[in-house]
Amino acid sequence: MADAIDTAKLELPQGTLDLLILKALSLEPQHGWAISERIRQVSAAALQIPQGSLYPALHRLERRGWIKAKWGESDNNRRAKFYELTRTGRHQLEAETDAWRRLTVAVRLVLDMR
Amino acid sequence: MLMDVVSDLRFRWRALIHRAEVERELDEELRFHLEREATKLEQRGLDAQEARRRARLEFGGVDRVKEETRDARGVRVLETIVRDVRYAVRGLRARPGFALAVIVTLALGIGANAAMFGIVDRLMFRSLPYLRDPASVNRAYLSYSFRGARIVGGSLEYPRYLDLATSPTLSQSAAFRDLDLAIGTGQDSHEMHVDAVSASFFEFFDARPAIGRFFDTSEESTLADAPVVVLGYAFWKTRFGGRADVLGQQLQVGSISATIVGVAPKGFVGSDEVQPAGAFIPLTAYGKSQIPSFDKDYSWGWLAMMIRRKPGISTSAVAADLSRLYALSWQKEQALESRTAPVSLAKPTALVAPLHEMRGPDAGRNAPIILWICGVAAIVLLIACANVANLLLSRAFRRKREIAVRLALGATRGRLMTLLLIESLMLALAAGIAGMIVGEGGQLVLSRLFLPRNATIGVLDDARTIIFACLAALMAGLLTGMAPALQAGREDLVSALKSGAREGVRHRSRTRSALLVAQGTLSVFLLVGAGLFVRSLHKVAGIKLGYDVDKVMYVAAEMRGLALEKEQDIVLKTKLMEEARSIPGVEHVSQALTIPLWQMRRQSFSVPGVDSADHLGQFLLQMGTADFFRTMGTRIVRGRGFDSTDRRGSPPIIVVSQGMAQKIWPGEDALGKCVRVGGDTMPCATVIGVAENIKASDVIDDSGLQYYLSIDQQRPAGAALLVRTRGDAAGLEEVVRKRLQPLMPGPSYVTVTPMREIVDPARESWRLGATMFLLFGLLALVLAAIGLYSVIAYNVAQRTHELGLRIALGAHARDVLRMVLAEGLRFGLAGIGIGVAIALAAGHWVQPLLYQESAQDPLVFLSVAAVLAIVAVAASAIPASRAIRVDPSIALRAE
Repeated sequence: MADAIDTAKLELPQGTLDLLILKALSLEPQHGWAISERIRQVSAAALQIPQGSLYPALHRLERRGWIKAKWGESDNNRRAKFYELTRTGRHQLEAETDAWRRLTVAVRLVLDMR
Repeated sequence: MLMDVVSDLRFRWRALIHRAEVERELDEELRFHLEREATKLEQRGLDAQEARRRARLEFGGVDRVKEETRDARGVRVLETIVRDVRYAVRGLRARPGFALAVIVTLALGIGANAAMFGIVDRLMFRSLPYLRDPASVNRAYLSYSFRGARIVGGSLEYPRYLDLATSPTLSQSAAFRDLDLAIGTGQDSHEMHVDAVSASFFEFFDARPAIGRFFDTSEESTLADAPVVVLGYAFWKTRFGGRADVLGQQLQVGSISATIVGVAPKGFVGSDEVQPAGAFIPLTAYGKSQIPSFDKDYSWGWLAMMIRRKPGISTSAVAADLSRLYALSWQKEQALESRTAPVSLAKPTALVAPLHEMRGPDAGRNAPIILWICGVAAIVLLIACANVANLLLSRAFRRKREIAVRLALGATRGRLMTLLLIESLMLALAAGIAGMIVGEGGQLVLSRLFLPRNATIGVLDDARTIIFACLAALMAGLLTGMAPALQAGREDLVSALKSGAREGVRHRSRTRSALLVAQGTLSVFLLVGAGLFVRSLHKVAGIKLGYDVDKVMYVAAEMRGLALEKEQDIVLKTKLMEEARSIPGVEHVSQALTIPLWQMRRQSFSVPGVDSADHLGQFLLQMGTADFFRTMGTRIVRGRGFDSTDRRGSPPIIVVSQGMAQKIWPGEDALGKCVRVGGDTMPCATVIGVAENIKASDVIDDSGLQYYLSIDQQRPAGAALLVRTRGDAAGLEEVVRKRLQPLMPGPSYVTVTPMREIVDPARESWRLGATMFLLFGLLALVLAAIGLYSVIAYNVAQRTHELGLRIALGAHARDVLRMVLAEGLRFGLAGIGIGVAIALAAGHWVQPLLYQESAQDPLVFLSVAAVLAIVAVAASAIPASRAIRVDPSIALRAE
């Protein structure tokens, strides 16, 4: 599987990872592994994020107060650290999603220029 | 936004303080991730071991992730600092003596500066509490020419203030005067600071009354006949327990009975932060109580004028416009008083200066001295820093091996320098705290020297002073930490590791030598200053005043509630004199119209045959009764003084000073001459005596032009009493007061002031200079001596091996002794040389502060040089004696 996607692997633009994490958490609280799984699944494995890089990002977001962490039970009855969006995190997600949309529209307009 | 910051800080705080727990949680979190990933892979059919391997591969380097996560927590730098702080604390705890020496040394320096700052800040820089837009507020001064001299003053007559206040360049103006008045009646009356102000005064401030209201212009009008008073907050709390029902009550303020209409808010001090006012009264109420015509004639200058410039108008534009109005006002005055000099001659000019009197054109002799002493305090701190830098350096030398090992083990030089800086910053911080306590104590002493007696200030309760002390500590920490840190930065690794502790000392102590010489230099500078001021003070104290200081006291009868008729006043004064004369220990009693240095009276006079005699100089008028000259201790050089034969109706007589006699009748005998005091039509007063010149207006600059009339003949109102004691007047003032008080009618009272308390403040600036330079100079000398001692002692300890070798090879104890002493003396001499050069160069600026003392006085310079040389030898003597007792067998076997 890993071999198959190597060719289609996309580099993430700076700062995008934060947005993806916030989005992944927007439905329900998740632990780190689940977040990484979710991003992988939803992006049809096109976005291959080195799993390790998730954790510095999570801690940075927690420091900013956009997400908060809580220890809880995982689906396989193990102790796991769950992250959830805070109110500021939710605002931030909306703002960044909006910004991202406008950016992609703008970039597409430029690229489609004839 | 704020919440973000709070959450950020909380996160970092936890990451920092509960570091172990946070790390453990991270471990668990990552482990969970890896296991979960492995389980997923296993479910896809991989065997357990392969699944774990793949999971790890997917994840990336666990340690790198951990490291990056730590960085993401944003506490990296903090963590390092915390570790360094812990390390430094451990290191310092291991050597408490060293830490204590550093802290005490710096605390003395910081404390001295904090104390001085608190005083100077209040006298010169801090704006008054509640004052709105202080940058647009100024004080107005007036200046005019009088008999060739330019006279500058900040005191205005009431009508003058009204004339100037009309200037269109001003958006606000107010007049005020701080007074010491007795508040209350009977037993609980006591003297307090009171501000007499115009109603507009309050409008300069953004202050709302705590209760009630401030008074308005109608209550400040000269027509208002029901005086009002606004209480100061602290006075209201202590005297009235902060009760709201004080409003409407009557309060006796000086001779005025006023209705309380309001209380100023907490922290509102009025015109002077150093002496907060206990009460505020309309200035017209006070003016009327003193001179009924105060609002019409231009004879009594007593008000300070505070102005606010309109936006966009410069101080010079305001000064120009005020000068225009002053000239007009001068002409109005001339119309009232024909003897006033014409505008073309007097050239009246207004000046606009900062509100702080100490920064104005009329600041007096103390202002430059205070600034000098600030500089001196800063120098003391520099010396303390040099000392501490030296201590830290010698500690760094001792730790050379340790530092080299750390470098070899991979610590960066930057990290090492940070570590050393943190150590000195921590010491400085502790010293800063100790320094504030030192400063609090020091300020008690200093404020007594610099500020009025009832001044209320402190270090620990003042934010600005605390911030200053912290900054001083920070600066001291950086300054002292720099040398050892730089030293560590260029440590030569290989040689340091190879050598023992002994080698390499010689050339590296160059920094230390420089610091030592700097200390010596600064000490010389301060001690020379101290010497100059002490000699100056000595000369000032030796000035012949022309009257006795220690045996004379001044008794004032303060009339309250009733105004005595002239005859009643004379009867009362006579009774007081009789009573005073009957007190054991009292030698002579006299009345006097004015008190030297405090009050000056002038009156025009004419002398037949001498054209406009009273324009020859500024002649001061004094009056006295029979024993006047004996009471004051003023010598009569020719003729006689007053006696009991000079009565009302007897031919008028006058006594003149030697200076006046020479000025008016040069080369002639003054005795028997005629003086018409008050004008040509007055009867002739015959000169019956010539008295020595006295210092009547200033202890230094006094023209010695005085003349005396007999109170018994002239019978003026408002004379005071002078009492001369057989021995020292000190200690007798309370006896005199208690005996005289019962004679006073109603709420009136007597105050007794020893002459010393009148004369001393006039010599204040020299006393201040001498005391402070001496105090700080000695402190500097002690610090420098300690510094020298520690360096020499250290060098001797380092050279034990070499000294042992010399002794083993047959060197005499005398040679070793001479060698060590010479080293100390070299430092001393270098310091003396440079210090003397600097002091000579700076003499130019000190000269104006001295009295009959050259800033290059060789006696002072030689004494200081000798003292410093002796101290240098003494400081090296102890290590030297240790050096000659070195046992060669032990010294050579060491290491």
